[in-house]
Amino acid sequence: MSSAVRNLSISQTVAEAIGLEMERDENVMVMGEDVGKIGGVFGATRTLQKRFGDKRVRDTPISEMAFTGMGVGMAMAGLRPIVEIMFVDFIGVCLEQVYNAMAKIPYMSGGNVRVPMVIKTAGGCIGSAAQHSQCLWGLFAHLPGMKVVAPSSPFDHKGLLSAAIRSDDPVVYIEHKALLLKKAETFLNGGHVPEERYAIPLGKAKVVREGSDLTLATLSASVEYALEVSEDLAREGIDLEIVDLRTVVPLDSETVAASVSKTGRLLVVDEDYLSFGLSGELVTRVIEALGPGGLKQVARHAVPDVPIPAALSLEEAVVPGPASIAQAVRELAAVS
Amino acid sequence: MTRLERFRAMLTLRHFDEACLEGVPTGEIHGELHTGIGQEAIGAGMMESLQPGDAVVSTHRNHYHALAAGVPMKPMLAEIFEKASGLCRGRGGHMHLFDAEHNFSCSGIVGASLPVALGYAYSFWMKGQDNLAVGVTGDGGANNGAFHECLNLAGAWKLPLVVLVENNELAISVPIGDVSATATIAERACAYGAWGKKVDGTDVDIVAEAFAEASHHARSGRGPAILEASCHRFRGHFEGDHDSYRTMKEKREMRERHDPITIARRKLLAEGLAGEAELDAMAEASQREMAELLAEVRAEPLPEAAGALDYLFVGGKR
Repeated sequence: MSSAVRNLSISQTVAEAIGLEMERDENVMVMGEDVGKIGGVFGATRTLQKRFGDKRVRDTPISEMAFTGMGVGMAMAGLRPIVEIMFVDFIGVCLEQVYNAMAKIPYMSGGNVRVPMVIKTAGGCIGSAAQHSQCLWGLFAHLPGMKVVAPSSPFDHKGLLSAAIRSDDPVVYIEHKALLLKKAETFLNGGHVPEERYAIPLGKAKVVREGSDLTLATLSASVEYALEVSEDLAREGIDLEIVDLRTVVPLDSETVAASVSKTGRLLVVDEDYLSFGLSGELVTRVIEALGPGGLKQVARHAVPDVPIPAALSLEEAVVPGPASIAQAVRELAAVS
Repeated sequence: MTRLERFRAMLTLRHFDEACLEGVPTGEIHGELHTGIGQEAIGAGMMESLQPGDAVVSTHRNHYHALAAGVPMKPMLAEIFEKASGLCRGRGGHMHLFDAEHNFSCSGIVGASLPVALGYAYSFWMKGQDNLAVGVTGDGGANNGAFHECLNLAGAWKLPLVVLVENNELAISVPIGDVSATATIAERACAYGAWGKKVDGTDVDIVAEAFAEASHHARSGRGPAILEASCHRFRGHFEGDHDSYRTMKEKREMRERHDPITIARRKLLAEGLAGEAELDAMAEASQREMAELLAEVRAEPLPEAAGALDYLFVGGKR
């Protein structure tokens, strides 16, 4: 294994994972809008149609309800479909098949039917306002029966996607648009992506920075944002421990609780909406694990329950970014 | 199947749903129940054209299609009666029957069956299998957007899909004539490069022939088929529906004129294919067998409450 960092974008690591899994298992196939001829609007399926043919890498019409449900039928027929929903925001037109069919059939069948299907979709804010900037992992996590993955590093994008494709459970895999075109060498965490195939078990969080003062639990693009500001904060005397959750379902609250039992302070940073979501759930689980006296301080930094606005000044006011994360850390640290 | 076998199949379907009805007043079926009583000719008519490996994806009113697809009767009845020995271990219930061995599944959401059926069709096509997928919908479901998306896709890619439309003319209470831009559902086929036909779905022989034609079309690589079978829902939309959108007179006349079992019986007798006594004995035997099955199923235990969280994920980890 070469240890040199390859100059890949995240979308190339995603395409590499899919290609390797398609080589390994002829039942793996991809379909969605623009995934074939142009290899995806973010390039995450580039070259796959040329290599595997147009039956296994299928451009679809703009019929999400049909092709999401098709994924369910294909999975029950023995295939392992990866259904791409171009932007996670589009899930509204096909959520029926996601939460009533894909996620429920394994349970409703008493475990007799498996739906080994991946919904691969892009979330996160890149300045595209209310209908193209959401994360929505909390929505999927609220609905029982699907695993929910939101990777941060190049290494994790490849390994978690391989695990998702190999999973016999349905998985929603949410990329972050701001990361997809970013080069591996620019990442502070997990920039090295081995060429061979590997899988990272779903449901294991990772401590990406060890520290003693405050636990910052987050996922997806916010992991890099937190790492970016962590050294400045250290110089200010706040030593962050950063936990990358990696998956929302299963939620590895044990790793977070173990960290909090050391630091005593928990800040959850979530680019999804604040209320009824990941941040509240994680805080609750940590309190349940450690008891109400187990934390000295707790806070949440998430999108404050408004649609994502268009103007940059407004967007920066509501979407967590490096500066706002640093500010939230300082505020929490100042309380004690 | 012989004409007599088709008749016998209709009796089985009717008696199966009558057995289900017994579980409603007793609370053994404590939720909704949608019976297909009055629509037996369609389930019985499709049986003989289905081949091993074919997929059937049905609706909330799914019992007859499940039996047509070969789902075994006892675990199916046990599932409907919420038993641990049920097809889905009591997790699915009557609207959610899944049998991987027979490629049978369904959805309680109107219109949602067709995309799943299309997935099976794609899989068969991709792997070069000589199988087809049947997606069942009603006249109500045919007005859902999924109908358009799926037929367009199946037509564009020439997938082996039969869309079986059971047109009982009512979406609960809303008559199809009030809400469809076309007089029939089948005539929409021309928009999708599909084969389309509307037939009398109360005559099992007509349905059997038409279903054979539709499946031959779909299996031959020429794309999807829409088979619309007119029928009558003898009971309310679900057990407990007041069914006040039809008059008593209408309902009485419907049962007198359009019962597929009576229609078939009359034809068999008129053509000398069977005698009164033979058909009566057949009905009695069918009823007796179903009563025995029901008694066996009723004696089965309910699922253990401790297992309510099982089967969400492989290995059970939540």
